[in-house]
Amino acid sequence: MTTVSTDVTNSLLYLDGVSVSFDGFKAINNLSFVLNHGEMRAIIGPNGAGKTTMMDIVTGKTRPDAGDVIFDGSNDLTKHDEADIAMMGIGRKFQKPTVFESHTVEDNIALALSGPRGVLPMLFHNSSRTGEGRIREVLDVTRLAHLRGQMASSLSHGQKQWLEIGMLLAQNPMLLLVDEPVAGMTDAETEETARLLRDIAEGHSVVVIEHDMGFVRELDVRVTCLHEGSVLSDGTLEHVSSDPRVVEVYLGR
Amino acid sequence: MIAARFLQGGLDRRIAVTLALILSVAIFVPVANLLFAPSHPLHVPNYAVALLGKYLNYALLALALDLVWGFCGILSLGHGAFFALGGYAMGMYLMRQIGSRGVYGHPELPDFMVFLNWKELPWYWHGFDQFWFAALMVVAVPGLLAFAFGWFAFRSRVTGVYLSIITQAMTYALMLAFFRNDMGFGGNNGLTDFKDILGVSVQADETRAALFAASAVTLALGVLITAAITGSHFGKLMIAVRDAEARTRFLGYRPERVKLFAFTVSAMMAGVAGALYVPQVGIINPGEFAPANSIELVVWTAVGGRGTIIGPIVGALVVNAGKSWFTGALPELWLFALGGLFVAVTLFMPKGIVGMISRHWPKRSRATDAKVRADAVREQNA
Amino acid sequence: MRRIASFIACLVFLVLSGLSARAQDDEALRGAVAGFATAEGFQQIGAVIDALVVLGDPRATRVLAALGEGDLKVREADGGVFIVRGSAASVRLIDPVNGDTAGEAGGASLKKIRVNNRLRRTVRDAIGALTLTAADPAVRMRAAETLFANPDPDALEAVEAALERETNADVRRGMEVARAASLLLSDRSNAEKSEAVGAVAALGTREALGLLSQFRTGATGALELQAAAAMERIEGSLARWSIAQNFWYGLSLGSVLLLAAIGLAITFGVMGVINMAHGEMVMIGAYTTFAVQEVIRRSAPGLLDWSLPIALPLAFLAAALVGMLIERGVIRFLYGRPLETLLATWGVSLILQQAVRSIFGPSNREVSNPSWMSGAFELGQMMITWNRLYILLFAMAVFAVLLWAMNRTMLGLQMRAVTQNRRMASAMGIRAPWIDAMTFALGSGVAGIAGVALSQIDNVSPNLGQSYIIDSFLVVVFGGVGNLWGTLVGAMSLGVVNKLLEPYAGAVLGKILILVLIIFFIQKRPRGLFALRGRAVEA
Repeated sequence: MTTVSTDVTNSLLYLDGVSVSFDGFKAINNLSFVLNHGEMRAIIGPNGAGKTTMMDIVTGKTRPDAGDVIFDGSNDLTKHDEADIAMMGIGRKFQKPTVFESHTVEDNIALALSGPRGVLPMLFHNSSRTGEGRIREVLDVTRLAHLRGQMASSLSHGQKQWLEIGMLLAQNPMLLLVDEPVAGMTDAETEETARLLRDIAEGHSVVVIEHDMGFVRELDVRVTCLHEGSVLSDGTLEHVSSDPRVVEVYLGR
Repeated sequence: MIAARFLQGGLDRRIAVTLALILSVAIFVPVANLLFAPSHPLHVPNYAVALLGKYLNYALLALALDLVWGFCGILSLGHGAFFALGGYAMGMYLMRQIGSRGVYGHPELPDFMVFLNWKELPWYWHGFDQFWFAALMVVAVPGLLAFAFGWFAFRSRVTGVYLSIITQAMTYALMLAFFRNDMGFGGNNGLTDFKDILGVSVQADETRAALFAASAVTLALGVLITAAITGSHFGKLMIAVRDAEARTRFLGYRPERVKLFAFTVSAMMAGVAGALYVPQVGIINPGEFAPANSIELVVWTAVGGRGTIIGPIVGALVVNAGKSWFTGALPELWLFALGGLFVAVTLFMPKGIVGMISRHWPKRSRATDAKVRADAVREQNA
Repeated sequence: MRRIASFIACLVFLVLSGLSARAQDDEALRGAVAGFATAEGFQQIGAVIDALVVLGDPRATRVLAALGEGDLKVREADGGVFIVRGSAASVRLIDPVNGDTAGEAGGASLKKIRVNNRLRRTVRDAIGALTLTAADPAVRMRAAETLFANPDPDALEAVEAALERETNADVRRGMEVARAASLLLSDRSNAEKSEAVGAVAALGTREALGLLSQFRTGATGALELQAAAAMERIEGSLARWSIAQNFWYGLSLGSVLLLAAIGLAITFGVMGVINMAHGEMVMIGAYTTFAVQEVIRRSAPGLLDWSLPIALPLAFLAAALVGMLIERGVIRFLYGRPLETLLATWGVSLILQQAVRSIFGPSNREVSNPSWMSGAFELGQMMITWNRLYILLFAMAVFAVLLWAMNRTMLGLQMRAVTQNRRMASAMGIRAPWIDAMTFALGSGVAGIAGVALSQIDNVSPNLGQSYIIDSFLVVVFGGVGNLWGTLVGAMSLGVVNKLLEPYAGAVLGKILILVLIIFFIQKRPRGLFALRGRAVEA
């Protein structure tokens, strides 16, 4: 078991033997998954494979029935709630873009910036330009600088996806979990998003859930295929996509 | 302190105008009532002072609801309870001021306790002979209840309609409790027959005028506090919680604390509104806890325009003026009108009066449009 | 003295009301009664009384009672014996045998048959003996029951004599406890009393408890101990029965809650629509019942017992129609915005209430119980009223039908399809808006049916719906949204817990406790008892 313990200490995210079931349905079944520091990983798999549930578990939204979920070598994520986990350095983008529609793009980013999170500091927080540099930086990375003063509700679907990714960046997490970032995007937007994620991956660890195989190919990273709540296949995209089991359950012949 | 920082930052022009309006009413109405002879064209009759004073308390109550509903997305159907609790705290003070002038002439016990053959004051009635204590309780009791209730509810992530229903159950339970004679709050009849407040007669014209001015000033304070809160960084977070609670959570915020703060502050404001209301109408009884009252209050806020500071004030004034007119002129039609108002506002005027007017005010319109669209999205998610 | 007089009056009433128009021994009775006209002195009058007792005709009790009251008089002109009513100059004469009015007479033309105290006692015993030995076992039974309820040591001999002749086992038992009860108050031997304590205690009723406690105050030594022990046993058994009774009340309340909430389980639970006007659908059902009864009363009074079965479909249709109008007119514009729906339907509820108030008036309307729903029966020490029992059965039937409709019919299938995946259902050719309207109409119609049942136990007033709306929502939320079984369990458990709490906390405090418990429960399990867990998306 030495390999496991080195895995734990060296990895950024470490899941071992994780199971969770809803009313008898095993959404996650003895799942093990290791992500190294600085790594970007793509997760693919058919609907109901447990991809989003896995994110729910990592971010503290769902408590697993069994198994270990360790972040950054020492933090047991099953003992913390969403807010704690977010503050530890895990950012999450939802499947459906979720931004603060009645705030401007700038305020969206400003709310995400790492800073005080308590009620009183927030009340007396001087909103003068403490985070100005960071905001500009994030807006530049996410190609939203020209929309800075716009209401988030007026953004296009793709822009909202980027804004949400931008909010994750503003949080400055160690790990970004990105759920279907290109769903509903045009091809041009998809390409742009792939580039954006590769840029981000230079400074952060990233897990991307995606169905779009073209997009996964563009990311050019190691791929994990989930099926019925556990890992079906793992490796390069070529390796995974030629795995007969993956072809069987997911890609189709 | 918040207000001070806020004032340095400068007031929104609309808020400033609103404040100026309220404060000028606070001066004008009492002056016009006391100084001008009844025949004078500017004279404000006594009944109007009482009526307008009541409306101002309602406006503060609607503003309190707006702080949680309009800005934080918590539709409380139990805000009438906080209003009533504040009212009861004030009512207890006023009862103690009666002293031995009650029907039974007991030096300490209010009439209803003598009537029930109680021998001594229940422990929770002690201290209410002091105005400062009663004033403290006016905010502390609703605040504590809201804090305890919200602490459980928000921590367990009870949201949306479920939260609305249990807040309604809360006020219903309180109503049943206050109807009981052995609760020691006068049961069915509530507290009434008040004599003095701070040593002067509650019936005197000067007192009424002063109560009116106090109501207006308090409303202005409420506006100031609400504007300060919603204008702060925290206010932005409140709106963020309203629009996408889960998002804030995954950004590391604790939306339950945001809501708890807003809910508690709002309950305290409602309590103050109730406390000012009681001496002006001269009675507080368990009927104030009726769930229907709390829902009616929601429609004031909706009519005026939720998510704005001016909206609930306008709404409370308009709807209550309408109610006074209807119940006088066409009493049997009032419920039709009120019911129709509920339907019409939700179907045709989701932004309320203020929102409608803002449409012709380009600077703001984009924001309110976005808000309404965001509401639709948020509720689909809920 | 008054107690005994009322006891006699009771007996007489019982006997007379039990009399059928049989005229077998009219002549014999008439002959014996005529003896009063000729009897001289108390002794001879006593002999006539004895003769009446020997005759054994319970109708003689009327004569005897009148004799005891001093109302039996002889018409001096012809020696006819009559019971006399009224004390004015002109009095009414009543035939002593059949009780018919036999004309009038001047008060002075009648002579009172005088009795002294000793004779009065004779009369009383004679009445007891007559009824206890009546030919009709039902009369004897009632006499025994009356004696048990008003035990009288003086009646001991009569009841013992009757017991010797009694052949009917039920009546025997009745007489034995009546004897035991009377014996407890008499000065018989301790051994007999001890036996009587046992007999009374075996009854286990509240009356037995009362008798024993009365006896215990006068008793000493072993007898007192025995009585105390017996009382304790009875109290224990009564306490268990009272729990059973409260449990029954709880089930009954639960069935009412179920009826009120089950329509909501469809509109709120299945469709997710917050219909604050749900209570008004119940109200519409109740007023439909009232209207049906009014029409029947005017045009076909014979059908009154059928008013409920007639009202049921009409109430369903009326409420379903109103529901459909609400759905098409208001709710469909607000899908996906539950808080707005809540407010708009609240507005609708105000309008409906005021409409009913304008049409039917603000006061309570009288809806009568059909004869087959009136009355009650006893089960052990429990009292069960027929209307509550029928409502429980009816609630179960409605539940079963609805469960069947949701799970086994095409409409139910389509409803579930539309709620689970609206787009997919539309793509498969289901007309989703139509199904929405039908689902809402069904939920509202069921509420209307509930109104028919609730009109039997509640005031039919414009506020009827208001009193149910909060409870209904709590039941559905408590049971788990989207689950009919949850609603059933929720309603029944809330009803039972409420009623079991009531004896300790009182009605209002019990209700408050329940509300507080539910508030805590919802916070613990926001999705109810039978909630489905699932992948939490971005809720």
